[in-house]
Amino acid sequence: MSEREQLDPIRIWREWIVKSEKQWSDHLTDLMGDERFSKGMGRYMQEGLHTQRMFGDAMAQSLSSLNMPSRTDILDIGDRLGQMEETLSGLQVEIREQRAQLTRLASTGSADPAPKKAPSRTKKPPVNSDK
Amino acid sequence: MSAATNRRVDVGGHDDRDAMETRIGATMQRALSRNIPGIRIPQTESDFDVGLTPKELIYSKDTARLYHYRAMQDEIYRVPLLIVMSPVAKGYILDLAKGQSFVEYFLLQGHDVFMLEWIGPRREHSGLRLESYVCDFIGDSVKKVQETTGERDITLVGYCMGGMLSTMFTALNPRAGIKNLACFTTPVNAEGMSLYKQWVDSEAFDIDRLVDELGIIPGDMVNASIQALRPLQKSAGDLNLLNNVENDAFVKAQLTFSRWAADQLAVPGEMAREMFKDFLKHNKFAKNELVLRNKTVDIGKIRVPFLHVAAEYDHIVPTDASKDLIFLVGSKDKQEIMIKGGHVSLVAGGNAIYRLWPKLDTWLRERAV
Repeated sequence: MSEREQLDPIRIWREWIVKSEKQWSDHLTDLMGDERFSKGMGRYMQEGLHTQRMFGDAMAQSLSSLNMPSRTDILDIGDRLGQMEETLSGLQVEIREQRAQLTRLASTGSADPAPKKAPSRTKKPPVNSDK
Repeated sequence: MSAATNRRVDVGGHDDRDAMETRIGATMQRALSRNIPGIRIPQTESDFDVGLTPKELIYSKDTARLYHYRAMQDEIYRVPLLIVMSPVAKGYILDLAKGQSFVEYFLLQGHDVFMLEWIGPRREHSGLRLESYVCDFIGDSVKKVQETTGERDITLVGYCMGGMLSTMFTALNPRAGIKNLACFTTPVNAEGMSLYKQWVDSEAFDIDRLVDELGIIPGDMVNASIQALRPLQKSAGDLNLLNNVENDAFVKAQLTFSRWAADQLAVPGEMAREMFKDFLKHNKFAKNELVLRNKTVDIGKIRVPFLHVAAEYDHIVPTDASKDLIFLVGSKDKQEIMIKGGHVSLVAGGNAIYRLWPKLDTWLRERAV
């Protein structure tokens, strides 16, 4: 580290924060473990859920009147994309299995070139292996 | 004149201004070429070049994805390795980059590596339960690995909650072919997770209402609950990034870790409800009272060679939450290793490369033949 960097007050402050972070975090975590804090947070979450539902319903009506998609419509599209991805994954697995079967068949015939040999499962641990 | 006075005089000098301009210019150039935050934050996995070890998808169902990594040696150990990731974390933490990949390391050591990863659940997956993950997804994956390799014996390796699921599966299925079980930072005793336990015991959260309303517990909520365990760690990490902004390797590693830490997966509502009530509130896993598909999960029934690796400074799964696992498991051949480091640095990064990976390989290779 250069002399200039050593005297940089911002850098010194950052280093102090990094070094004392665990203590500060522990204090905050203790605070969060307090029953009053927990109950307050729980209540905030319930209110948040209620507000989100009310706002979502109102918004969906407004968006619908503007002929625009709501969050639910976007989630539906997301779900459909997810289903398509899952179908593709299924096809990928199927193709892999078919290919493996073809490779096995080819290895029994003589016309095709020899398939890539699978590694042998005969490896032993090194003799001087640590126990 | 003192050195300090000299410095004050120099600050206003032409040479110093030129040097400062050159330095700012060089920093900007580096920033532009490296895409540091403020210019462009890498967004996708390809921006970070993670998860690049060649692999094939061999099983896919709901939120489960089972991959088989391409062998890197002509001769491999007989017993394949099935890694089970935590359902709230993405698997690329174990395959960060060439030379820093857990998966690549074990492939190079001659292991046949499979990984069961998870994707974020959709609304239709809100009903997935703990038993779906343990009995269906891990059960199917074990069968698939056996079918693919032709070997009945398998080593299960679980990370964090993946360790819980692997332990549950092994306890429920003594004849499924699990030859060895290795778990990293696996929570078993909810009493050791003090903040979460306080939240649950104070009955501040109405989990039923949360699940009924949302269906899926969003990844952001999972992330916020993890952040609460050490609220300033992320800010301190960002400041540390500024202190090391000229160290390219540090910046890349820090950004990758930060991104992974913030990239938590959502959780199916029913599974979240079970974790909240059965694990956190009633501590059924540690008491051997957890019931999955009408069968009680008795950890004492595990008889296979068992390894648990805990991280000394783990704040997500503190040792108080994981230390009982070694006593609960019924195996004669069992071992616990405590490694310096945190929850993530245990499995990835420089700490892991020199500490965990070689230790795990040493433990595995004796038992993989």
